[in-house]
Amino acid sequence: LPMAFRDVNARRHIGLQQLSALALAGRTLLGPMKSCKFIVDESTNQSTLICSAVRLIESLDLTSAAGQLLNETIQAQNKEFKTGMSTLLFLIGAWSNAILECLQQNVPISAIVSLMSEGLNSCCERVQCLQISIQDVNKELCSSSVRPSAFKSKTCQTGHDSLLNPQSFLYFQKDISVPEEVIPINSHSRQEDGCNFNKCLVSPLAGLGSIASLVKPAGDKSTSVISGSGVIASSYNKQKLTHSRYFSTLGKSHFSHQQDNFQGYLSGQSADPRECYGLGHLAMTLSHGNQASMKLLQSIVAYQQERAECSGSSQFNIAEVVTCCLLGLPESYSCVSPGLVTLVSPEQATVIKYIENKPLRILLVDGDLTEQYRHLGFNRPCNVRTILEHPSLQEGRAGDLWLSRMLDILINFEVNLVLVKGNVCENLMERCIANSILVIGSVTRDVLCAFGEVTSAQPVTYLTQLNSSCVGNGAQVDLWKACDGRAMDLGELVPARVKVRGIPLLTAVLTTTVASKMQLIEDQFWTLVYRLHHALNDEKVFLGGGAVELLCLSHIRMLAEQPLQPANKNAVKEFHNPWLAASATEYKSVVLQALASGWKQYLSVVMCNTAKAASELEACTSIDHHLKKAAGCGSPSAYILKEFRRGDLLGGGSGLFADHGEGLKVYDNVTAKTEAWRRALDLVLLVLQTDAEIITGPKRNQLLNSHMSSEFTFL
Amino acid sequence: MSRLEAKKPPLFISEPLAKDTVSQSLSLLSGILKSCYGPAGRLKQLHNGMGGYVCTTSQSSAILSRLSVSHPVLSVLTASVQNHISRFSDCGLFTAILCCSLIENFKSLNVASCTVIKISKHLLSLCMDYLKSEVCGCRVSVDFSSLETLLCLVRSVLTSKPACMLNKPEVDHLTMLILKAFMFTVPCHVETNAVLGKCVIVPVKGRRVVDSTVLPGLLIETPEIQLAKPLAVKRTCSNMIKIALFCVSMSGDLFNPEEGTITVHHGISLEMSELNQLLNVGKQLINDEVGLVVCQKVIHPSLKQYLKENHVVAVDRAGLSLMEPLSRMTGSKPIASIHSLSPCCYGSLKDVRIESFASKHFVHLIPPDTVVCSLILCNRNETAWDELKRACETAEHVLQLTMKEPLALLGGGCTETHLASYIRHKSCSLSSSSFKDMDCSRTQYQLVADGFCRSLESVACSLNHDGGEILTDMVYGHCWFVPSGFPSVSNWSDLVSKCGCGINGNTENLNWRLLQGQFGSPIIQGCPKDPSVKVSDFLTLDCFAAKCSGLQVALETANLILDLSYVIEDQN
Repeated sequence: LPMAFRDVNARRHIGLQQLSALALAGRTLLGPMKSCKFIVDESTNQSTLICSAVRLIESLDLTSAAGQLLNETIQAQNKEFKTGMSTLLFLIGAWSNAILECLQQNVPISAIVSLMSEGLNSCCERVQCLQISIQDVNKELCSSSVRPSAFKSKTCQTGHDSLLNPQSFLYFQKDISVPEEVIPINSHSRQEDGCNFNKCLVSPLAGLGSIASLVKPAGDKSTSVISGSGVIASSYNKQKLTHSRYFSTLGKSHFSHQQDNFQGYLSGQSADPRECYGLGHLAMTLSHGNQASMKLLQSIVAYQQERAECSGSSQFNIAEVVTCCLLGLPESYSCVSPGLVTLVSPEQATVIKYIENKPLRILLVDGDLTEQYRHLGFNRPCNVRTILEHPSLQEGRAGDLWLSRMLDILINFEVNLVLVKGNVCENLMERCIANSILVIGSVTRDVLCAFGEVTSAQPVTYLTQLNSSCVGNGAQVDLWKACDGRAMDLGELVPARVKVRGIPLLTAVLTTTVASKMQLIEDQFWTLVYRLHHALNDEKVFLGGGAVELLCLSHIRMLAEQPLQPANKNAVKEFHNPWLAASATEYKSVVLQALASGWKQYLSVVMCNTAKAASELEACTSIDHHLKKAAGCGSPSAYILKEFRRGDLLGGGSGLFADHGEGLKVYDNVTAKTEAWRRALDLVLLVLQTDAEIITGPKRNQLLNSHMSSEFTFL
Repeated sequence: MSRLEAKKPPLFISEPLAKDTVSQSLSLLSGILKSCYGPAGRLKQLHNGMGGYVCTTSQSSAILSRLSVSHPVLSVLTASVQNHISRFSDCGLFTAILCCSLIENFKSLNVASCTVIKISKHLLSLCMDYLKSEVCGCRVSVDFSSLETLLCLVRSVLTSKPACMLNKPEVDHLTMLILKAFMFTVPCHVETNAVLGKCVIVPVKGRRVVDSTVLPGLLIETPEIQLAKPLAVKRTCSNMIKIALFCVSMSGDLFNPEEGTITVHHGISLEMSELNQLLNVGKQLINDEVGLVVCQKVIHPSLKQYLKENHVVAVDRAGLSLMEPLSRMTGSKPIASIHSLSPCCYGSLKDVRIESFASKHFVHLIPPDTVVCSLILCNRNETAWDELKRACETAEHVLQLTMKEPLALLGGGCTETHLASYIRHKSCSLSSSSFKDMDCSRTQYQLVADGFCRSLESVACSLNHDGGEILTDMVYGHCWFVPSGFPSVSNWSDLVSKCGCGINGNTENLNWRLLQGQFGSPIIQGCPKDPSVKVSDFLTLDCFAAKCSGLQVALETANLILDLSYVIEDQN
């Protein structure tokens, strides 16, 4: 009789308590200033460093049903968006607590469910006014109108930073004839020159150039402007400007502030937003202070946009980005490199030295490269016996036969480079190395596709399928070198780079000397990449820095105050459901308060984490102050928009996330954010409506004999 | 050497229903099912307690299929409810709750079970006659020329499953999609034997519900096809695409001899000969101008390469579940052997495209006329998606049943209370000759009829999960709900707004009474009236066929269980 049954106590809902306890661990992961956590496994004494909700959840014990559902929810958000998981986790905890309080006050469950989900719906509609289209974001820094007067006082301060840029430009553009003293005009001409310059500079990158950037640790402002050097690019000049795309952006933004101060000089100046900023600016506003990843992303964007202009492909393609983690190099060596960077053995490295910089014939293998490998779905016959009637000594072992046949095929087709999706037989690898054929295994499908596209190689599953149309041309391979040409000594493995002229594929080489940070850096990089991806998919972004949450709070306050009647008048046209809506009016304000408390806690915890507020109490006071002012001025959204533009939202600066670069706006993804809210509420309401667990299978007998058996009923 | 063990004698249990354990288990099961009922029903988490998949549901089909009960009495009950579900999809909880209630109510009567059975059969026939008659006050006829009633039917199914986690716009969106999908499955040109087509649900988990959509034709998921390249498919002279459908594996592994060993000489490769055979098939397909090859199982990469080089699109791993609709849609016969190919097996398609949803890529096969469609169903997480899938399948089935019998019953508890008041009224006016036929006294009949009505009403009461009162009115016999927190002496007309199904408003004084109050249930003087209101939008409606069957199954199962006098258990 494999079934046990546990009643969930209605007033102290066990499931909600579990959710709230699990979510509590994620508090410090909220906002742009995250505190990392060490998770220690007491049985093995191993520990992991985590800095995101996904990794946290992965490392927790989640055998309870609510824990499982929590895990499922976080993983689903991660799979879909790669961002918003911390928000999701936090709100799950906050709303669980708030609902537990509602239950304490005897609010019926159906009233909580219908009011909360309608409340969230209404908020999601309300905050649409805080969306900005991508075009507007791009225009924002180009046009001067967005810079309100409040910023002027800070111009001197920022001017110091911005000076670094024009100077570096001037240093290289010696033939510029405009006198330096006339700042507005100067800046104008520099902008244009910068743009043109960039254009002609990035084009060689479409070939075999390397976009290398030297990324300094965040906060080191004085040096962060120095860009890295290319590996192949011969002139320093070029290297400098490869990277100046972003810096010219920053410089330009300051110039536009200055234009503000020098109004009249340059009115009517207009620039094509895409031309001057492209997606680099958007990437910056979405980076939320993650400087290192942002600079890598900006390099990627610059490269891809340049390609997009030539080929008309999409502006930003996430499938054309891969990462390669190099442990043992300082973090400042992280960079973006066209083609595929991957780790190879020293033996393979010797082959690379031999075939370096020669045009190679490339083969793509869509499976394992071993004798035993058969395509998926092939069932090996079990009852076939082979007999050999006339044994002859000349024929070697069967394995050798296969090896030499495969090698013959490769040699006949003059293949020098083989990219394999799966594993590679070690003996074959040795034989290939001896014949100067480079075989690289464990290459992902996307990478194979990218190489297939530019070399016109057709992926094959077996080498026996090979015909001349399957082999591609024009690949090159070399050993990857850091931007300063430093030789890699990473122990066993050596980074190598495979590239083809015009390949859309980019590798973000992520470096660190701290092993436990590797995963963290990779996660953060991908989070930012996906944020940009989703922003472009949504074609709009939210105002960041807590603006959206603040508007939700003020909207809920309004909902709670307004009588429910307007909704009831429409009820004639609505689906009648007395079992859900009947008791709603009575509990409206309590339940809506519970919904609001989620966002309020979210804001206050972010403010505390970013040290904008010393305590949650202080944070709440500041939030209340804003809410009061918002309500007072008639249109809360207008107030929030104004404060956001002034950069004065919640704790000064430009919002909660103002630490990096003055005057920088912060934006959030629209769908990822509202979906995180919805998923959080869905999970909490799903658990709330659950009144019993039914346990089936072998566990039931364990329960019967355990001390917990009194909690269960056995059917 | 094995040792023989003496057989244990079978265990003989008399009067199983009188045992405490049985009645306890029965009331626990009844409690579980009652708590799940309706749009505000509570959910159950079904899991193995060891961190595996958690199924959150309130649907009888999911609960009963995972719940294993030990006692034969309970197994009889669950088996017959599951049988009902497999035939009708809907009204499983109604059937199970009613059955449990009937057993409990009849057991507590001091009437011999054979008499109870006779009387209850009579009551059932009264109900069925009434439900099938034109005067029936709790049914509405479904007009297929307008959408409203159909939408109500679908919407009622969706909203009664809270674990789907749908909000209002999402319910509206899905309701439309399900109806649209159903319309696709209705053939345009009906000959003598009209057969409904099929709607295939394609899972896209992790997406918003509003991203769900319906497409005519079928989708086959393919990871391999690169989107950048437009599909160039060979077409026949009539601009159609010839399709060959294989249900045999084309992976090039050996045909599977049942037993024995094959002995081959060294140097002979069976794999190669098998592959050559496949390539011969490929050659014939190309000669026959086939443009698209779909295989249920795997196609050998070499054959795929060969076909591709000859501009034939090959799609493999279509899966067993797609084979029947594929063959139906394209008019092709699934080819079960790679040794003989008959040209009459080929079917035709209007178009083939590539579609992508979320991160999944599909080959979209578009037929000349649609009786097969694909519902791309999205929901945010796994457990809610599974629940939603079951709900959609139920809704689709309900529409099919309604097509056969274009009637619907009022939902929200109104049919139950209306039927109860009809039976109460009818049982008073029965002639004494009927009692003689049933071999019972009027009192016995009244007792059983009262138990039957209370059982029906207890199903309606199970809709309420948050306290409050359930009322019925003395005019229409409908079911009304008053939220908790009001003193029960206040004037009911101030507190009620609409009846459970939504057809009656609080416009006239309907003389409300507490359902199952302490003074017993009221008896209406006349027959409960048919609300002569025109069927408006947004009614809660139930599937007529499913509910009628549920009523019958519940009563017959209850009778069967009441009639059990012995359980013989084999202990070996």
